[in-house]
Amino acid sequence: MATSPAPLDRDSAAAAEIAPDEAASAISAIGVSRSWLADRIIAPGWYHLSLGLLAGGAIAEAEMHSWVLFAWSVAGYTVGCGAVMWVNQRRVGVAMNYFDARTRAVFAGHVLTLSALIAIACWLDLDRGTRGAFLAAGALAVPLTVAFGRWTDQLLRARLQAGR
Amino acid sequence: MSSAPRFDEIVHAPNRLQICAMLSAVDSADFATVREGLGVADSVLSKHVRVLHEAGYVEVRKATCASRVRTSLSLTEAGRAAYGGHVAALRSIVGSEGLRDRPARLR
Repeated sequence: MATSPAPLDRDSAAAAEIAPDEAASAISAIGVSRSWLADRIIAPGWYHLSLGLLAGGAIAEAEMHSWVLFAWSVAGYTVGCGAVMWVNQRRVGVAMNYFDARTRAVFAGHVLTLSALIAIACWLDLDRGTRGAFLAAGALAVPLTVAFGRWTDQLLRARLQAGR
Repeated sequence: MSSAPRFDEIVHAPNRLQICAMLSAVDSADFATVREGLGVADSVLSKHVRVLHEAGYVEVRKATCASRVRTSLSLTEAGRAAYGGHVAALRSIVGSEGLRDRPARLR
């Protein structure tokens, strides 16, 4: 009695016809696609620099000792970061979970480093009366933000290329 | 990827395999991004997406933003399982050939 093959049988038969070279080139094509995606997700140079300038500007502004300016700078920082992230998200065109254990650790390190910078600037300016402490902290925040951002990019790239 | 090897004819077509490879790494991707990654025309990608969608492997979402429709694609659970199984099957084909070759090289 002839019966139509089940899907599993058809797939198994198709698998038997695949040459190892063809399977190897298919695996290679997967790697190419993953690499292309990893390159696309890596943020362009302006992205981390913009976030760094926003953070640096918000910290340096504290040199003015004005609560009104401080409130505006926090608002500007929040809106600016949101806008920069939105533009980059539109450019990348993918939604993914950026945070895993490693990228979360780098992000925590970034926040703690900037917090330490602000704390030192507060101590120098408010306790010791050193002028320019917030300006220096703001200037340091820019390269630090770029460095932590690049580090996160490298981890994301490695994760995508590994297919995790 | 730890899926059991299972060859899938729907996933195996080169463009569809690349679509699945991209989507498996992310939650969702814009239609335009996938098209750019594959380097194909809209119509070609639409055809492959329709096949994957009809198989229950890809979910298609449309959202209107500033009077423009953005289409995003994502792999369903069934799609992730099929892709994982297919990649495992490809690896086993490559691996088994390596094992078959070994005695021949010794002779």
